[in-house]
Amino acid sequence: MQKHNQKEHLYKLLVIGDLGVGKTSIIKRYVHQNFSPHYRATIGVDFALKVLNWDAETVVRLQLWDIAGQERFGNMTRVYYREAMGAFIVFDVTRPATFEAVTKWKEDLDSKLILPNGKPVPAVLLANKCDQGIDVLMNNGIKMDQFCKENGFVGWFETSAKENININEASRCLVKHIIASESDPVQSVEPDIVKPHLNSSKIFSCSACFKS
Amino acid sequence: QIRLRCQKGIPPSLRGRAWQYLSGSKVKLEQNMGKFDELDLLTGDPKWLDVIERDLHRQFPFHEMFVSRGGHGQQDLFRVLKAYTLYRPEEGYCQAQAPIAAVLLMHMPAEQAFWCLVQICEKYLPGYYSEKLEAIQLDGQILFSLLHKVSPVAYKHLSKQKIDPILYMTEWFMCAFSRTLPWSSVLRVWDMFFCEGVKIIFRVGLVLLKHTLGSSDKLKSCQGQYETMERLRALSPKIMQEAFLVQEVIELPVTERQIEREHLIQLKKWRETHGELQCKSPPRLHGAKAISEAEPAPRKALEPVPSIIVSPGPAPVPKARKSKEKSREKGSASPANGPGAEGNGAPGTTRELLHPQVSPHHQSKESLSSRESEDTYL
Repeated sequence: MQKHNQKEHLYKLLVIGDLGVGKTSIIKRYVHQNFSPHYRATIGVDFALKVLNWDAETVVRLQLWDIAGQERFGNMTRVYYREAMGAFIVFDVTRPATFEAVTKWKEDLDSKLILPNGKPVPAVLLANKCDQGIDVLMNNGIKMDQFCKENGFVGWFETSAKENININEASRCLVKHIIASESDPVQSVEPDIVKPHLNSSKIFSCSACFKS
Repeated sequence: QIRLRCQKGIPPSLRGRAWQYLSGSKVKLEQNMGKFDELDLLTGDPKWLDVIERDLHRQFPFHEMFVSRGGHGQQDLFRVLKAYTLYRPEEGYCQAQAPIAAVLLMHMPAEQAFWCLVQICEKYLPGYYSEKLEAIQLDGQILFSLLHKVSPVAYKHLSKQKIDPILYMTEWFMCAFSRTLPWSSVLRVWDMFFCEGVKIIFRVGLVLLKHTLGSSDKLKSCQGQYETMERLRALSPKIMQEAFLVQEVIELPVTERQIEREHLIQLKKWRETHGELQCKSPPRLHGAKAISEAEPAPRKALEPVPSIIVSPGPAPVPKARKSKEKSREKGSASPANGPGAEGNGAPGTTRELLHPQVSPHHQSKESLSSRESEDTYL
């Protein structure tokens, strides 16, 4: 399957949001194609790797960083965020408070992490547990579009880790924006900037490009 | 000696009580009779209740005690964690306290588990769970610095890949390895931890790092930061295996003094980069002896003890027994007796079980390795 002229990209993606919104479940669904109500609370940080065959020439490897949702772990997020290329910010549609926290997470992210070109990292908003029926967003699509625009999200999706709804789509959306932001002209006029994640066309040392 | 007994593993039937004696939580409970019940009756701050409730089914979800929603295990876990938020409102609830409390509840009733949790949070690991999580970050730096001496290869590798200690040690330390190691190893580590304090946690961390990243051979498959972290997250079962791990931990020459010295160095660095610590924690006490010396068991607290001692024989002869009891109390209440608390409560059981094991150091090690090899190398 692997072709020798294949391009390989490696991206670190953050999954953040309040406690219990389903960050771990989304990652497990995406990476292992399953769901369990028995995931342990994340303490500190956890990781998973997803390999995407993006197109005929491109393989995308996604490092998903699952970050503890409790507020006090926010004291460590600077370290967790380092060198990330994109983020999912997750809330639970059945709990309005977790939506209110979205802007707080976005601010935390943007204050601690910027891309080499000086822009904020692309972020996608996930309205999780949409299978539960108690949807606070119901018929509020337009408002959500507005919210994303105002708060600098590149898109939003109603997702369900349980029912496997929209998770692949959300991921493709985020990756698409990351790839687009990589070919951002601002970057190419500043060739001095170290871009640790880019263009790892060396197939054997895909991870080496992660070293800064 | 108690330390050797704890290194060899406390017998399961005594473990819960031994942990209470070692941690000083038994004394604490006796000094605060009724306190837990009082806290138990209060409602608690909804802010914490909400978070605690979300975590109840997420602790050892496959352990029979915690498997059913609203079952006794989960109920007790709720009571213990809620009581702590009322006992220390300025600390509230930290998610990493839940697995700690859950392990305690597997060994003792809720009230006892509560006081044991208090001792862990205040004496063994002060500041770990408080709002700013400063203490755990400091310990990350201390661990990393100690690694320099224990395994220069691992140290160099982690430095080169810029892997901050909090990326791999947060869960290890905050949960005292309860979610990392196989269960039999967890119990052995906790036995030693209750006796000897945080030094054991550092040593376990160092042993795991050393045996995962400590040779150029092992590093071949850790070329990138992610590969290294993946390796540290999915540790080899061989190095976590009870007998191997415990022996390595016992032999690793990392002392309390080294940890304290490194603590001062890292604290100074912290102040330079972050300013003063925002959460002031009490000083860390390194194990049962330090705890019992800092808070010697008052005589009074010992008086209820005879109810446990009463022999199943004929009705006690009050006078004779009392004087005997007193002399026994004198002996064990003296702090010089080491973790005197251990002997205080149930001499009939604990003492007998502890004493036959007392043996010179080298001898006990021999018996340890031979016994272990029978038990565990299957």
